[in-house]
Amino acid sequence: MSSRVCKTCGCADIDIDQARGNAVCMGCGSVLEDNIIVSEVTFVENSGGGSSAVGQFVSSDGTGKTPVLGSGFHTSIGKESRTQTLQNGKRHINNLGHQLQLNQHCLDTAFNFFKMAVSKHLTRGRKMAHVIAACLYLVCRTEGTPHMLLDLSDLLQVNVYVLGRTFLLLARELCINAPAIDPCLYIPRFAHMLEFGDKNHEVSMTALRLLQRMKRDWMHTGRRPSGLCGAALLVAARMHEFRRTVKEVIGVVKVCEATLRKRLTEFEDTPTSQLTIDEFMKVDLEQECDPPSFTAGQRKLRLQQLEQELAKKIDEVQGEICSYQDEIEMELENSRPKLKGIYASYTKEDTQDDTLSVASGFPGNEDGEDEELVAAAKHLNKDFCRELLSEQDEADSGAESGAESEQPTTSRQPPLASLLGPLPTAASLGLSDSIRQCIAEKEDEENSEHGELDLNGIDDEEIERYILNEKEVKIKTDLWMKQNADYLKEQKEKEERIAKEKELGIYKEQKPKRPPKKREPIRASTAGEAIEKMLEQKKISSKINYDVLRDLNKKGCSPSHQSEEAVTSPTSKRLASRRKRNIAALGLGNQVSNMGKRLKPLISGPTIKKPAGDQGVTSTVPTPTPEVSQPVVVESGPVVYEDVPDEEDDEDEEPCVSAMQLMGGNGL
Amino acid sequence: MEPNNDVALDIIITNVVAVFRTRCHLNLRTIAREGSNVIYKPEVGKVLMKLRKPRITASIWSSGKIICTGATSEEEAKLGARRLARCLQKLGFKVKFTDYKVVNVLAVCTMPFQIQLIEFTKNNRPIASYEPELHPAASYRIKNLKATVQIFSTGSITVTGPNVQFVATAVEQIYPLLFECKMAAR
Repeated sequence: MSSRVCKTCGCADIDIDQARGNAVCMGCGSVLEDNIIVSEVTFVENSGGGSSAVGQFVSSDGTGKTPVLGSGFHTSIGKESRTQTLQNGKRHINNLGHQLQLNQHCLDTAFNFFKMAVSKHLTRGRKMAHVIAACLYLVCRTEGTPHMLLDLSDLLQVNVYVLGRTFLLLARELCINAPAIDPCLYIPRFAHMLEFGDKNHEVSMTALRLLQRMKRDWMHTGRRPSGLCGAALLVAARMHEFRRTVKEVIGVVKVCEATLRKRLTEFEDTPTSQLTIDEFMKVDLEQECDPPSFTAGQRKLRLQQLEQELAKKIDEVQGEICSYQDEIEMELENSRPKLKGIYASYTKEDTQDDTLSVASGFPGNEDGEDEELVAAAKHLNKDFCRELLSEQDEADSGAESGAESEQPTTSRQPPLASLLGPLPTAASLGLSDSIRQCIAEKEDEENSEHGELDLNGIDDEEIERYILNEKEVKIKTDLWMKQNADYLKEQKEKEERIAKEKELGIYKEQKPKRPPKKREPIRASTAGEAIEKMLEQKKISSKINYDVLRDLNKKGCSPSHQSEEAVTSPTSKRLASRRKRNIAALGLGNQVSNMGKRLKPLISGPTIKKPAGDQGVTSTVPTPTPEVSQPVVVESGPVVYEDVPDEEDDEDEEPCVSAMQLMGGNGL
Repeated sequence: MEPNNDVALDIIITNVVAVFRTRCHLNLRTIAREGSNVIYKPEVGKVLMKLRKPRITASIWSSGKIICTGATSEEEAKLGARRLARCLQKLGFKVKFTDYKVVNVLAVCTMPFQIQLIEFTKNNRPIASYEPELHPAASYRIKNLKATVQIFSTGSITVTGPNVQFVATAVEQIYPLLFECKMAAR
């Protein structure tokens, strides 16, 4: 307040009394201001004798929406969506946190994370439970508490990986670097669960030492920490003469038996396992081991190399054997009498046929190249050619040698065919393909503009094979129909249903979900009206005994009740039509269902339009009703008002109190 | 930073995924009936067709969009895609081969040393993330290349990226980082 100068005396000394609300000049005593508006906190006395401050809290980051005064009771008065979300979140966090035995500091931190997540809109499109679990787990990681993601997923009955995904996203968005899990953190917890009694501490220490040893031996990278803990604890328990079976340990640690066994065998492979218990406690081996997966990989590599070497050696040996064979054969033939005349020509033909058949095997086979086979094939090929040549030279060979020369060729033919079979000439084909492609790249570009298919390198014949002929098509169709009979039936039924609904004109198009419309606050002159409107907005609960409610309201005021019927019948019609299914489910009896059926044809017109807002509905609806009802409602206002709030207070959580009685009242 | 000139890392491409459009509506039932190596999935609304020669599997939608997976090189992927289009042409559809694009390339590579994942994650936060409870590998995302590298403690890494060039660049980029965190030499 700016201190002014007094008008009468010009004195600048003005005394302002907040209590009286006066501004008085100290010089002349004239009252300059009266009833000054004060902005202070004032208190009001409650019915119980206590006093509370007047006013409401408005959040600084909220919208400028003023809270509804009076009849907005289905949402807490004056709270916006953001605060609601935060309150909800806080409640859930505390719930979960207590189940996990987290202290208050952790819970507060988790709530802070949650607030950050909400402000970054990370809760959109995600289940609240997931986000909350992720916040809690983040706290666990930063504080270093021995809680696993598995525990959280156990409590929530959600897949661990889903939670993990949310958690990773949260950590990334909030730029929080969660420190890596140390399996040593879990030891005290698991040890406690395994009940070692007095020796708990000692067993834990032993297990810790074991774990550290495992870490040095690189068993822990890329593994679940719980598995390692399980193995360490098992060994530690046995070392201290506690009988803990694998099953018990598994139950506590939550890994499967195979994992535990594998860890144990890996540990067995390390040199530490050779030490006795006392030695282990005293000595720490300097040597470190490779991680077990690495050694396994190395072993595989070594095996493969060995196999390759062996294969090569076999080839060499085979080659040698073949060469010996050839020499022996040669010698034998040289020493045999030769065929002359017709038989010689026969032998020549046979061998030529053989070569033809073998050669045709070449282009037909298209599998991958194999160097060994190529080498072997080449070698054998050489021999074969040599054989051919030698036989052709000996064109004058006799029948016996002819027959015998056939035999070695036939005996060699199957192995040759099988060996040479997979020789790829596709290699040459493939090369030509890529060469052609490189040259024809420009063509490709043009084609892609037009969308035409470039047929380079595409073997039409091969593609023909992919297409079945008519008979096959028929067989396949029949098979498929039989197999998928159920699915096809479902589809047919669905289509029939849609067609029927279309006829009736009630076909509900499955549109993609629109965002939920904002509901305006209800403005009504009476409590009863307000209830009706609220019920239209909200769905009817199935937990209310509507008969009783009906009677309750009936007892209060019968005349007003009747008037309400008239007023609310149109609204109830709307309710009935929209919620005919709900009504049926509630099982309110014939009255309601009859009413619903009766009124449905009447209102089939307006319902299809699907009114945009509820206010629109209620505003249009009263117009068809006779105007007589309206003044009646006004008169009965105060009467109704007395009764209804009492009932409402009782059933605040399920405030859909009187609509059903109104609907049922019509039938009555 | 150790140069990797002396060591030649061979990057083996194991999978190439490509998409293309046929710009015409395809009747999946016809394809399912008349193709010889097809799987029809009416619930999802697509047909899986497997080719033998470049060994690829293609998902065919009725809108004409086709996704080809399983090729081992970019050229093979294109060849397979064209073969597939030719096959559809023979079945009677007016197929055009447009909008061909390689979408994803998966390659594996083995380092000659093992890697300490925890140290690697510590050095490269927040680009790298390692959750042993969930997955045994640490994952490193290179934003400008749009590539993801999964690093295992044995030294093998898998790289996925939009094309082969980026994948190779990613391996080159990540090699020095991995070399820093390699395990004490055996």
